[in-house]
Order: sequence, then C-alpha cells, then structure tokens
Amino acid sequence: MIDNILTVDRLSVRFGAATVVDDVSFAVARGESFGLVGESGSGKSTILRTIMGLNQDWSGAIGVNGVPARGTGRSEFSRQVQMVFQDPYASLHPRHLVGNAIAEPMRIHRLDNVEGRTLDLLRLIGLSEDFAYRYPHELSGGQRQRIAIARALALSPKLLLLDEPTSALDVSIQAEILNLLNRLRSEMGLTFVIVSHNLAVISYICDRLMLLQNARHVETLTREQLRSRDLQQNYTREFVAASGS
Amino acid sequence: METHTIARAQVRAAQWKQVVSFCRRFARNPSGMFGLVILLALLFCAAFAPILATHDPYLPNLAGRLSAPNAEYWLGADELGRDIYSRVLYGSRLTLLIVGLVIVTSAPIGLLVGVVAGNYGGWLDTVFMRVTDVFLAVPKLLLALAFVAALGPGIVNAAIAITLTAWPPYARMARAEALAVRNSDYVNAVRLSGASEFRIIVFHIMPMCISSVIVRMTLDMAGIILTAAGLGFIGLGAQPPLPEWGAMISTGRKFIFDQWWVATVPGFAIFIVSLGFNLLGDAIRDLLDPHLKART
Amino acid sequence: MTEPLVEVKNLRIAFPTEAGGWNETVRGVSFSLGREKLGIVGESGSGKSLSGRAILGVLPDHVRIEAETLAFDGIDLLTASSRQRRHLRGGRMGMVLQDPKFSLNPVMTAGEQIVEAIRIGDRRIGRTAARKTALEILESLHIRSPELVFNRYPHELSGGMGQRVMIGIMVVREPDLLIADEPTSALDVTVQMQVLSILDELVERRRMGLIFISHDLQLVSRFCDRVIVMYAGQIVETLDAKRLNEAQHPYTRGLLACLPEIDGPLTPLPVLDRQAAWSQTS
Repeated sequence: MIDNILTVDRLSVRFGAATVVDDVSFAVARGESFGLVGESGSGKSTILRTIMGLNQDWSGAIGVNGVPARGTGRSEFSRQVQMVFQDPYASLHPRHLVGNAIAEPMRIHRLDNVEGRTLDLLRLIGLSEDFAYRYPHELSGGQRQRIAIARALALSPKLLLLDEPTSALDVSIQAEILNLLNRLRSEMGLTFVIVSHNLAVISYICDRLMLLQNARHVETLTREQLRSRDLQQNYTREFVAASGS
Repeated sequence: METHTIARAQVRAAQWKQVVSFCRRFARNPSGMFGLVILLALLFCAAFAPILATHDPYLPNLAGRLSAPNAEYWLGADELGRDIYSRVLYGSRLTLLIVGLVIVTSAPIGLLVGVVAGNYGGWLDTVFMRVTDVFLAVPKLLLALAFVAALGPGIVNAAIAITLTAWPPYARMARAEALAVRNSDYVNAVRLSGASEFRIIVFHIMPMCISSVIVRMTLDMAGIILTAAGLGFIGLGAQPPLPEWGAMISTGRKFIFDQWWVATVPGFAIFIVSLGFNLLGDAIRDLLDPHLKART
Repeated sequence: MTEPLVEVKNLRIAFPTEAGGWNETVRGVSFSLGREKLGIVGESGSGKSLSGRAILGVLPDHVRIEAETLAFDGIDLLTASSRQRRHLRGGRMGMVLQDPKFSLNPVMTAGEQIVEAIRIGDRRIGRTAARKTALEILESLHIRSPELVFNRYPHELSGGMGQRVMIGIMVVREPDLLIADEPTSALDVTVQMQVLSILDELVERRRMGLIFISHDLQLVSRFCDRVIVMYAGQIVETLDAKRLNEAQHPYTRGLLACLPEIDGPLTPLPVLDRQAAWSQTS
C-alpha cells in the first residue's frame, strides 16, 4: 500500500449557493510534491484553505497523516500540516517583529528554547539572525516570503501547503524561493502541495499535478506525462499550449 | 540564558526605533507640536499648581471681592474674593482627573466589546452591538445628565456618567477594525498554528485596533472636557468650592456684564485646552490612521 | 525616421524621504518612441511604471519630476498647463492598468462607460449614436455578445472581459499613444493571449504608439518591437525584441535564465547575483 500523507476524498465546498469545489478527490504520497493548477475560480486555493479548516461548509473526507480533518482539534492538526499564503505583504502581522512572528506558533505549543529555535529557523531559510529584530515593512517581498516559510516550519509539520508562493514576487526572487523550497523538501523530507496558475513553476517543482477547471477535476498528470505532452483532455492541451513559451 | 537576555535587548532596540521614527514624523507637524505644547503646559500647571499659585484657591477674601485683574490678583478675583488665576491652575487638576478617568475606562471597555463582537460574530455580535446602538441612540449630554441625577452630583460620578456615554463609538470602531483583520492572512496564520481565540484577540487583533482607538481618544478628549464643564456648569459635576472650570463659569455668569473676567478666564482655559487636544489628535491621526496612510 | 511621438531625455523622478531629502527612483532615463510597440521591462521598484506615469502626468503632486526633454508629439509636457495635459490624457494618450476591477467605475455599466468616454471626447455625438459606436467597439474587441456585456456592471464581468472593456474605453478616441501597465498580469494564461492579440490588432490598425510596461521579459519580447530593460531607475539595455537571446547585460541574461520552463531542467535555478555596478550612474 502506498503511504499517503494527505487524502482528499470527494471534497465539495460551497460558498452560499455557489459550489466552488465540486467532488474532487486526490491523494498525496509521503515525500511527494503535488501541484494544483488552474485558472482563477477553478477552486484550487479553496481546496488548500479547506484542508486547513478555514472553510466550514464542506462535505467529503480529508485526512492528514491518518488524522481526520473533521473533529480534530486545531492544536493537534497544526503540528501535522501548515500553510504558506500567497501574498507575503499580507501574511505577516505588521506590528510584530519578524522573530516574534516565527516564535509565535512555538510559544502557542509551549515548546522549549523558542529563542534558539527561532534563530535556527532563520538560518535554515537563509537569513541572518538580526532579521529577527526587524518589522515586516523593513523587508522585501522575497524576504517576507522566507519568513512566512520559516513560520510554517516552526512546528515541524511534515506536510506544507503553499498557495501561489511566488506569484507576488519578481521572477529573480521567484527563482530563489523555488530553490529554497526544493532544498527544504529534500533536507527535511517534507511533502508539498503547491497551488499555482503557472505551469512552468509547477513543472519545475512538482512530481505530479492536477488540473482543475470551474471547480472540477480535469486531469491528473505526472511530470513525465506533462513533459512528453501525454495529455488526455482538450482543456489540458489548451492550457499547456497557452502556458508554453 | 545569556542569549535570551541579548535577544530581549535587541527586541527593545527594534521597538525603540519605531518610537523614535514616530516622534520624528510627529515633530514635523507644527500644529501637532503646538497641541503637544498646550498639553504639556496643562500637565505642568497641574503638577506644580501649589508652587505656581499665588493664593489659596479656596480662601475667601471679601476685601478683594470681584476685583479686576491687578498686581495682587493677576486674573482678577471672583465673588468671594478668591484668586481666579490660582483657581484655574488648580482646576486643571480636576480637568485632567475627569479626562483621565473617562479615558482609562471608556476606551478599554469599548475596545473589548468591539473586538469580541467583531471576532466572534453571531449572536454575541448582535447582542453587543444592539446594546451599543441603544447607548448611541440617546443624546450624550442627556444620558450623562440622567446618570448624574441617579448617582448624585460629584466629580467621580460625572466621570462615570461621561464614560457610560463615551464607550459606544470605541466599540463600533474596534468592531469594524476587528472585522477587517480577523480574516486576514496573518491572523489566519496564527489560527492555523492552534492559537486560542483569546490569544488571537489579545495579541493579534487588538494591536491592529489600538491606533484607531488612540486617534479617537485624543480627538475625544476635547469633547470630554466640554461635557465635564457642561455638567459642572449646570451644577451636576464638581461641587463648590472645587475650582472646576465649568462650575466657575457658572458662578461667573451672574457678573458677565460688569466683571467679565470671572467667567471669561475659565472659559478661555477650556478653549485653549480643547484646542490643544484637537490639534494633537489631528496630528496623531495623520500619523497613525491606517485609512489615511495610503494618501501620503 | 519622422518626428518621434514621445521623446524622453534624462528623466529623473524623486520622492521626498522621511528625513526631508529626496529619494530618486528614476535616475536619468532617455528613450524615444515612434509609431511602434516599445516594451519597458523591470522588476518591482525599477521605475518602469513611474516613467510611464510621468509621460501621462498622473503622478502625485509631491513627486519631483525633472527632465531635459519630456515631449509628446512636439508638445513640451514639463511646461504644459494642467488643463492642456488633461486634454491630452482625454484624447491623444490612453492608459490601460493592471486590474480592470480598480480602473472601471463600479456603479456604471460597461457600455455606459464607453458611451461616456465617447461623449466626453465629442459632445455633439448623440446618446444613440454613441451607443451604436460603443457596441461596435465591443464587437471589434472580439466580444461575442456585445449587447450583453454593454449592460453588465464591472463586477459581473470576468477579468479578461473587464480588461477588454477598459481597452475599449481607452481606444474610443483613437489615441496616438497607449500606455499599458501590466495589462495582462491579473489575467489567466488562456485569456492573456486573447487580450494581447486584441491590443496588437488595435495598435497595428490605428498606427498607435504603444508603451507596454511589464515584468515579464518573455511576454514583452514576443509582443513588442523594441524592449528597454530597467534596473534600479536606469536603463541597462535596449534590445531588438527579436534578438532577446543576444542580450549583453548580465542583468537581462540573469532575468532570462532564472525562469523555470515546463520542459526545463530540474537543477537549481540560476539566481541573479546583483552587482552594485549595475545601479551606478554611468
């Protein structure tokens, strides 16, 4: 049996009358990097937020590391999975020092040696220790996104959900963040689920990807299938053609 | 533990830098500086009233009754021959007392009610905000009057009455801010790390409401001073012989045509102090108000 | 070559700093534009958008703008009155911004906004005539049911449709110059291409000058004739769009190299090694 760290089974999410995710199922193996691709409104970000418990009105089953998302306390769930948000300008508290932002999850869980771990995390994501004593507005977009990644890693989760982690960044900074993510995944044995509209980014960083359109699953491909253009659906062909340069 | 203390010092240094930057920007606002000078002068007068005063503010001297400003009575004397200059100085203490009492009670109450309502939503929000609406629906001075009438006149009762009328706007504002912040990514991020709602409210949502509250507070102070003076004027605030400015005007109005200084001097004091707080409030709003920031 | 449409020489734009000094964000930019498609590429903070806005004259008042020449079709923009500049903006220059959500009026239907634009340009055109023209414009933007879009409010339109309406508003008065600031960045990939080809068609047909501002070097080079690459407020390189691969400057080459590709290698992406020399005044 394959060791799946994340299983999403027949997930449907509703916002009032609108169905924004319609009967989507997938599983992510431990250590894998899985991409969710689609245009705006395809429901890809909603899936991530639902896994994290930020949407209430959903049906189906979600399990992380064998722990069901429904009925599990946030505190316990938070050690299994963490999320990195799209906009690094909105995901850090403007009044908190960066060091405190990284330390906060560890303080919530009453871990010991929080200060030491915070500095370790800063080094891990490639920033010097004195960044702990800066405010977010003193940092560039790329540095902020690194801090957001450090915060997500503070509780040492094995699964990391990344919502468009580089779309708000310049291309040269995007390369740095993608390299960082790849390094972290291999060093720490992490599993990624990455949402993006950029097929090139997904092809670079993901082993497998799922294409969504209008809340529905279109096609799931391995990287090899994508690269050999072994595509079954018309929409996939269209999407790949539009993304190609 | 050595590294721990070093870290603390660096955190302090980073926070201090923020404060210094704020002060610098404030110093470039002339009207704000003018307001600050008035406020500092008020604090100075209140603190050193016994030294600055030339007379006992309570001691009548019938010989100098209603004397015009002269070398003995710098700003004249009132109907009992008490030195108006000394009484206005001592009155600044009462003004500060009332403003202080009202601010330290109304702002936290409003902040708490607003943030809890905004963060939780649902029936709690409905109940809290309808109560707020009820308080807002009654004219301020009328409500304060009713409370003082029920509690009995006096300075502390006046302050309590003003507090009861002053907190609802804070609650509304804090709720609006909390609504905007509670679903932001940075609050979601701590929520996802398993933080309790209490922790989220106190450490993550409240700091974002504080600047609006401070702005509102400084702008409110002038209003509080005026309301306090109004209560004093109609005899429901500070009681004689306390040298409260509103009460002083009230006694002075009998002589307004012949001995104008009796009512004018405390009136001028109220005017200056209110102006100072308004200027200060405007300047602080320019610096702190998150909604104005985008314009600069 | 004939008289250039836009002539910019040694343009400098500075913002006041907290300490009371000036922070120069555009530091000596010079270029000229004929009836062609010029791309300006750079990262955030490179001054590309500011340069475009300086030509339009839509920068806030506290910004300091200096230049040896800043001219549009022979008109000196530095000495032009604000009335004259407003007139230019309304008629001969147009701008398309990144997100149609923020640049369309939310309480008017898409069609009304186009009608309004037509009638501001020429009061003598009647409502019915303007409406007919607006529908024609929508149709020319490859909108299949122009009647439907005409009566929709901006929030009822998709991003691509909104951007088309925006372009429609801009082109009604047939401007000589169109400045497009990241016109497709907020759009999905499949829509991006459609909007670009519409833009291309318009520019070609009406012989406009186009300044296309974007962070996407690949996209710009596919679409424009010439590309200016900006870094830290200066132009580091001007390229023929067809010869992107012959870029000389290490910054341009770095930008090209650091992009992942669908079929690219999985080795770590090359990272820009920013050198201080790039931002030094030459």
